[in-house]
Amino acid sequence: MAEQDYSFTQEELDEIERLKAKFPTDKAATLRVLWVAQEKYGHVEPEVQQLVAETLDISPAHVHGVATFYTQYYKEEMGKFVLDVCTCLSCQLCGGYEILHHLEDELGIKAGETTEDGMFSIQSVECLGACGYAPMLQVTNGVYANNLTKEKVDKLIENLRNGNMPEFESMVMRQNEKRKKAVSE
Amino acid sequence: MPEVFIDGKRYEFEGKPKLLQFILDQGLEVPFFCYHPSMSIPANCRQCMVKVGTPIADKDTGEYELDENGERKIRWFPKFQTSCSTTVSDGMVVHTQESSEEVARAQKDTLEFILINHPLDCPICDQAGECPLQIQTYKYGPEGSRFEVKKVHKPKRVQLGERVTLDAERCINCTRCVRFTEEISETNQLTIVSRGDKNYPMTAPGEEFDDPYSMNTVDICPVGALTSTDFRFKARVWEMNQTPSIDITNGKGCNVDLWTRDNLVLRITPRQNEDVNDYWMPDEGRDAYQQFNENRVSRPSIKLDGDNQSNTSWNNAIETFAEVLEAHEADNLAVIGSPHASVEENYAFNKFFNLLGAANAKFTPHVIPGYGDDFLITDDQAPNANGCRLINLDESEADGIKAAIQNAEVVIILSDDLIGRDVFSAEDLDDKYIISLATNQTPTVEASDLVIPITCIAEHAASYINVDGRIQRSYPAKETKYTNRRLNLEMSEGRLDRYGTNFDNWVSEENKVDCLPVWEFLNHLGDRLGLAYQQDHSRTIFAELSNQFPALEEITYERMDEEQGVQLPIEQQEVTQA
Repeated sequence: MAEQDYSFTQEELDEIERLKAKFPTDKAATLRVLWVAQEKYGHVEPEVQQLVAETLDISPAHVHGVATFYTQYYKEEMGKFVLDVCTCLSCQLCGGYEILHHLEDELGIKAGETTEDGMFSIQSVECLGACGYAPMLQVTNGVYANNLTKEKVDKLIENLRNGNMPEFESMVMRQNEKRKKAVSE
Repeated sequence: MPEVFIDGKRYEFEGKPKLLQFILDQGLEVPFFCYHPSMSIPANCRQCMVKVGTPIADKDTGEYELDENGERKIRWFPKFQTSCSTTVSDGMVVHTQESSEEVARAQKDTLEFILINHPLDCPICDQAGECPLQIQTYKYGPEGSRFEVKKVHKPKRVQLGERVTLDAERCINCTRCVRFTEEISETNQLTIVSRGDKNYPMTAPGEEFDDPYSMNTVDICPVGALTSTDFRFKARVWEMNQTPSIDITNGKGCNVDLWTRDNLVLRITPRQNEDVNDYWMPDEGRDAYQQFNENRVSRPSIKLDGDNQSNTSWNNAIETFAEVLEAHEADNLAVIGSPHASVEENYAFNKFFNLLGAANAKFTPHVIPGYGDDFLITDDQAPNANGCRLINLDESEADGIKAAIQNAEVVIILSDDLIGRDVFSAEDLDDKYIISLATNQTPTVEASDLVIPITCIAEHAASYINVDGRIQRSYPAKETKYTNRRLNLEMSEGRLDRYGTNFDNWVSEENKVDCLPVWEFLNHLGDRLGLAYQQDHSRTIFAELSNQFPALEEITYERMDEEQGVQLPIEQQEVTQA
């Protein structure tokens, strides 16, 4: 691939100025600006991290440290759909690894890899705060797919292949289901 | 005076000290890793936990509430506090691991956590023997680990920069190195990357850790994660012998320790002195160990046929020197002192030729404008320009030195590579008789007709005056052919020096340089010439100096030792370019 020139447009720079104004220091805006960069390029490879550091006038090492801390920032180019399978405690106990391994088998790749057609990437991630609906996964920093089973995963992959993103699901903990019913009735 | 009770004992304090520092200042101990007195306090290693409480006081009267025994009621903090970040307050009661089982247990458990992924490769780790993690685990740690799962693997042998090698598995993420680059050297080159049990310090992708102070991170690393690329696997710390000294690679005179084994200096580390270099030193100063070991002038040499020098005996060297001096008038001598040599050497050297009738020795400062920074690197490349000024040597520009040489028949140079630093060229010395008293092989030594090997800073006790006018001194760290560690009480003995013999295959007697201190050589030369010149020891030379120069009045080696150097009442002179 030819070397790409990374830079922000004036519009994006204005947006970054607005973000910077929200924080006491420019350093504190690192997360938000990395986000702007990732939305633009789809990843924050080292060159993009460098761009963010230059834009905020902070050290590239700091930006690198922040970017590597979050699995939500993609440090390399990822597939069209990034499947973040939670393998943290609750999901693990409810079969998070089984879901992950099933996905790996289905797509023929390992966690941390991307399919050859550039369609899917799988990551094993830490808690996404949905322990009540374990096991679960997140699609490209967006919608959650909850209470997963192998069948549900197969369906999800098929839908994604056809370009259908899963809908947002309003979830209720099992013990609260009765109450929810009562409230809605 | 506000008071604090630590382990049942009352202490008074002033201001708002942090608890850990206060405890350390009392000579007591609480284990810690991430805290460093010269940097910010992140309290992230959680090792220095203690139990802390404050007395309950009546809001209106300010009187302490008492229990039925008449003792103050204490309100304990609900959890243990990291002592590094707790500010001492009046009446505070503290229990450390010494008086509280609970605290000892908490510290032990913290250590168990810290050690979960630590490789425990102490037998092959350079830090072993001077490792806070190792020492504190012995003192406060658990007997073993309850974790049976596989340890996390991280990158090993990562070349962070030219001088620093990282073993990420040993890292406990105290962030001392990161804070050093942020707060002290201000290059911001390091950060902690990745997350959770996989994190470790790193530079930004593609960036090299080329901080001019990078090796300080090796010193402050409380484990063996950051190691010196150069010193790696050269020696165990307990085999070496540590001698205080001064950095001679620039004008700042950073306080250092020379680490020797078998009379080789193996590494140089900074020694704390808050008036000069705090805990730090530039990387350049650490390379100086090579010039103490390698490329030394050993045994006198003399030019007999054309440009070839050959070794000769001390007797012959003294005889030749004396004959040259006898054959020439004092007016025809160009005597050149050196900002690279100590006060005592310059003084002894100058005095000798004064006695022969020569004028005061000349010297030229070794300054590279713009070379320094605002921290510990100076434009001045020599450790003792102010020392030369103080004893009234004749300071001149390069041209002045050149002119003096042109008018002379014999040029006598003390320990200064004047050709190497372009004060004059070898051609300027044609037709002159050149005598060098030198420590290392240099272009100047090469151009000399007679070379007298003299001791370097690692081999003698002598003082140096830094750019700020502070006088500090060195100790002999390595033996010469003519000194003996066991007889010279100023030299320290390491384990190998004390218990090794030259029949052991790990002890070597070979690294002793055949050289003499300037004053000792001049004694021999003075004897031969019938001069009334006798200088026994640098200490007596210094006594003579302090009688003679008001600025050095009341200054002795003892005072320099006790006060880590003494600030002299001399004005900071504008350094002129050589």
